[in-house]
Amino acid sequence: MSSRPKAPSIPLDRPISWEDWLRGRRARRETSKSVAPGVVRRSLSSSDRRLRKLFNGQRGLPFTPTEEL
Amino acid sequence: MNAKKVRTAVADVVGDTDPTRKAAKLASLCSALFRERGIELVVVGGSAIELLTDGAYTSGDLDLCRLTPAALPLRQRQEIMGELGAQGGPRSWQVAGLFVDLLGILESLARTPLRKLEGPYGVVQIVQPEELLVERVLVSVYPQAHPPARACAKILAALALKGQVAMDWQEVRRLAGQPEYGILPACKALVSEVANELKTQSPLDSPR
Repeated sequence: MSSRPKAPSIPLDRPISWEDWLRGRRARRETSKSVAPGVVRRSLSSSDRRLRKLFNGQRGLPFTPTEEL
Repeated sequence: MNAKKVRTAVADVVGDTDPTRKAAKLASLCSALFRERGIELVVVGGSAIELLTDGAYTSGDLDLCRLTPAALPLRQRQEIMGELGAQGGPRSWQVAGLFVDLLGILESLARTPLRKLEGPYGVVQIVQPEELLVERVLVSVYPQAHPPARACAKILAALALKGQVAMDWQEVRRLAGQPEYGILPACKALVSEVANELKTQSPLDSPR
């Protein structure tokens, strides 16, 4: 039997706690990447100019690697 | 929240370098301050998708809508955002290392509850994933193929199929069939494709 705890789900009818949301991040990222690998952040939008100015040419902060979530 | 607590919270957001967690904290803080004035906010768009999926989608802006229909005077908006040390306005501010866009009143056809995250400074309300999924499917095919929207739709579908985000599939079916979307065949095809990849069944393939 696996002892790895099941990742908390984001429920429909009640709030998810901050701790459970944080605990589920890695599993959510892994599932996301299983169907859409890599960074899927849009490469441009109407906010491009201000974003690239604030984030040194990028459109946002770099994502935390999955293994560090 | 008193001024000291707000300052501490802003410092926490400023110091956070994880884009998803940082956005969640800022949404929590903005929600708390607006809630104190009787105004409920909802996270929408790509920011909402990121909070639900951790799919590495979000950029450096946080999109918020008002749930409360009452008018929100510019002076009040500027005062609230001013408490956070924000710059700019009247609908977009730079604050704590992100941009916050206040887009107006929420437009959602979904009948399911807004999702809620108990953030560190107050509850964050997030637009329904049923609406987000159907919206992204539409944008992924109209007016022309749009791969980032398709990737988002696949991510939302995958999280839901694996039970990591609760999704009301009947509501997805209903919304996708509404004239405002008219996208049910494409939605069924996309969810079916993701279900195949995950070696499971699509709830949209079964009869009602």
